[in-house]
Amino acid sequence: MITIWRRLRHVLSWSRHDADLREEIEAHRALRQDAFERDGLAPGDAADASRRALGNVAHAVDAARDVWAIRTADSVSQDVRVALRGLRKSPGFALVAVGTLALGIGATTALFSIFNSLILRPLPVRDPGSLALLTNGSWSYPIWEQIRARESDLSDGAFAWAGQRFDLARTGQSDPVDGAYVSGRLFDVLGVTAIRGRMITPADDSAASPSGPVAVISHRLWRQRFSGDADIIGRQLTVQRVQFTVVGVMPPGFFGPDVGRRMDVMLPFAAEPLIRGRETRLNDKGSSWLQIMMRLKPNQEIEQTNAALRVAQPQIVEGATRQSVLTEPLTLAPAATGNSALRTRFETPLFAMVIAVGLVLLVACANIASLLLARALARRRDLSVRVALGSSRWRIARMLFIESLLVAAAGAALGLMFASWSSALLVRQLSTSQNTVSLDLALDWRVLAFTAALACLSAITAGVAPALGLTSIASGDVLKDAGRGIAGDRRFAVRSALVVAQIGVSLVLVVAAGLFLRTFASLNQLPLGFVPEPLLVVELNLQASGGRPEERGARVERLRDAAASVPGVRSASVSSTRQLTGGGWSSGMVAVGDGPMVRLRSVGRPSLWLNATMPDWFKTMGIPLRSGRDFEAGDRVGTGPVAIVNESFVRQYLPGEQPLGQHVRLGFDAQTRYEIVGVVGDAVYTTPREGMLATMYVPVAQRPPKTFWPTVLLTINAAPGQRAAVERDVAAALTRADPAVAFTFGTFDQIVAATVTQERLIAMLSAFFGALALLLAALGLYGVVAHAVRARQTEIGLRMALGATSSSIVRLVFQRVGLLIAGGLALGLAGSLWAARFVETLLFQLTPRDPLTFAGAAAVLVAVGILAAWMPARRASRLDPARVLREG
Amino acid sequence: MGLTRTPSDLLPGTLELLILKALVSGAKHGYGIVEHLRLTSDDVLRVGESALYPALQRLLLNGWVKAEWGASENNRRARYYTLTARGRKQLTAERAEFDRMVGAIQQVLGTT
Repeated sequence: MITIWRRLRHVLSWSRHDADLREEIEAHRALRQDAFERDGLAPGDAADASRRALGNVAHAVDAARDVWAIRTADSVSQDVRVALRGLRKSPGFALVAVGTLALGIGATTALFSIFNSLILRPLPVRDPGSLALLTNGSWSYPIWEQIRARESDLSDGAFAWAGQRFDLARTGQSDPVDGAYVSGRLFDVLGVTAIRGRMITPADDSAASPSGPVAVISHRLWRQRFSGDADIIGRQLTVQRVQFTVVGVMPPGFFGPDVGRRMDVMLPFAAEPLIRGRETRLNDKGSSWLQIMMRLKPNQEIEQTNAALRVAQPQIVEGATRQSVLTEPLTLAPAATGNSALRTRFETPLFAMVIAVGLVLLVACANIASLLLARALARRRDLSVRVALGSSRWRIARMLFIESLLVAAAGAALGLMFASWSSALLVRQLSTSQNTVSLDLALDWRVLAFTAALACLSAITAGVAPALGLTSIASGDVLKDAGRGIAGDRRFAVRSALVVAQIGVSLVLVVAAGLFLRTFASLNQLPLGFVPEPLLVVELNLQASGGRPEERGARVERLRDAAASVPGVRSASVSSTRQLTGGGWSSGMVAVGDGPMVRLRSVGRPSLWLNATMPDWFKTMGIPLRSGRDFEAGDRVGTGPVAIVNESFVRQYLPGEQPLGQHVRLGFDAQTRYEIVGVVGDAVYTTPREGMLATMYVPVAQRPPKTFWPTVLLTINAAPGQRAAVERDVAAALTRADPAVAFTFGTFDQIVAATVTQERLIAMLSAFFGALALLLAALGLYGVVAHAVRARQTEIGLRMALGATSSSIVRLVFQRVGLLIAGGLALGLAGSLWAARFVETLLFQLTPRDPLTFAGAAAVLVAVGILAAWMPARRASRLDPARVLREG
Repeated sequence: MGLTRTPSDLLPGTLELLILKALVSGAKHGYGIVEHLRLTSDDVLRVGESALYPALQRLLLNGWVKAEWGASENNRRARYYTLTARGRKQLTAERAEFDRMVGAIQQVLGTT
């Protein structure tokens, strides 16, 4: 072991040791010369004699050095030097090869590092392997209290948290950050310690907290908002209009137990009633809003804890739920990688993209293989001289392989840089105005190992073909043959096969890009049912300032009037529920007239979507009133409940009947009979993808005042081209009218875009990969055709001298090209047909084997192929036969 | 140029053993070791450089000697080798082994 270490140290300081050795032997000779002089020889003779006595110094040095060196390492380093020299001599090749691989490896690494951060990487906490998450879904606070009471029986510590968006603004327009309510022991159980101050403790998480309302903030928030001030501890932080004292800063790598969200502000659950007032959910047995994790006891299997949990389940259920809704057995799942809502959503698309980018890398490798092979063939004289001089074929193959390994290593290094830039860009694309996605993309050993493996794989893939191609180098033939290739030369077989494979793989990617682009385009062209361009949506948060829910109706009307009086506002109205979030307010059962309650759609999906609106909301949105009337000021609590329905509702529940005057009852409130007073056009409620769904609108003013929503949406229709100015003026007007209200502006453009984030990203990526593969395949085809033309120029010149026209020469070249393209298309179509079924779930209004997309992709490839072959073909047809024959 | 002993002429490891022994009496440079071996063997053992230096490198590699640059008697820069503690231990072990070998060889040669 020690000798290995010494050996290594020796190799590292190789040149110094070498110099030492030479100096030492020279000293040896000098000492001997001194001795000869003492014996009476003349100084000149003594020097000669000593030199003779010494024998072969070079041999002595070599022999001494060999003691240390490992022989192969030495000759490999020689090969590396030769390969480097070769690459330096052809910078064009080196640049194209390294650049191609950098793109391929970089893109693959970028996607893998997202995959790694989202799915593979354990939480940056103490012993993440012993963490377990209570599945499936979320839990109420009373359930958490029951589990906390049994914490030490069940586990080595348990904690709960609830992700929240917190508004940090003191007044007016909101300033949202992601954060969470956490239970007192979260940091203790996770083993996360503060880098400044302290973390939240169980004492903070009680109504009688001795420190008052406290908060801990993330390292990022500390650096960005407080510019890393050392005296951060004890400073005040406004969260949802309530003052908190900052008691600590979390360590830099810690983002919370949710992967994909970065929690910048954490508050104890005990602070929730300060913010939500009497609407606190801490005692609410009906609302599930938090996640629970445990640390398993040492040496305890998850199944043992599950068993203990099930024993305790009856008491937990009795203590914490209104009715016996908790029928499924409580189950823990391993949670070393944390909890993430993004995982299920992005698993399939991410996987599809990793496959796509892997295919791109394959095409890139094929290109490099083809280039390396061309180089090897160009140097075949040089190589066959080496073979003739006794170099083993294995040695030459190794030399070529080292060349591809060097290219791959350089490509991987550049690719890592490209990856860290592009993965951050991709993650930013996932964020929407409503939902910030944040992933820690720091390189870790998994990503580095993955990239290294990719580089090796690329080197092997790219290096095998040249080595195979070399079998055609028989030392004798090549020396005689000075480049007078003729048709059907076996040397082109390998490169042609590579080009066919490239075209095939590119076709698969172009088909995928076509399918995803068409999906995205058709999602974007879906009718919304309203006119989004002039609209501004302002979320009004009425809760932060305290005050009783009963007063909110009047406040909202005051705010609406303030907004409506701003110049440039054509109309303004209020609704209770945000559209286009994928969910909303709904009823599972509906009864029309005196009929029975029916469930229109499958269990778990609502039959009817609901929204509460103020008068003029339909006008503001640009939703047409088909018949009847809009809500009026007279529709108040105490007057008969009224409702407006959309055309889909009429189609589904009242086909062929006159809807006005009919009555509707809802499953959760069967006593109230809503009279239909109007019918409006359809508008998208959940997502454009789901289309038009039966929807019923009720007046805001007829809802019970005690349960008035803590947040409502103020929709503003601005005059054309004035949206930005209106936003500024409305913000000022709202703050003047009600200094306590917190509000956030948005536009329907952003909201609509947010519903297709995933599709947009997939379309963008697949288009990029498809284009990249196409470009690489075109380059590959161009290279092989150009090379073939050059190698066959004697033959072409001969044909021309014998009377072939230039068009017949073009035909000759294209015959070959046509074969290559046809082979590639056949391969690609077969591959696409097979692979198409895997992307079915990601498509919209398209069958995965959409003939139009397939034909289009094939046409694109043929066009690109002809373009790539055109230049060399034309060059061939313009050869001067006399010159070629003279020089060839 | 007389008889030059190279490793293949000696029993394997003998040159190293001789060098270690030469260093017992104090630090020596390469030429000093050669001279020491020549004088103490009455001119029989003349070690060539192409055998000496690889042997010295092997001893360095095993950590049995260490080398330091110093000034020779007539003020030339020379590299001096000293025995390490491990080298001393190795010498004792190899010496016993060598005696055993020589005894065995004599026994073989003595048998008629």
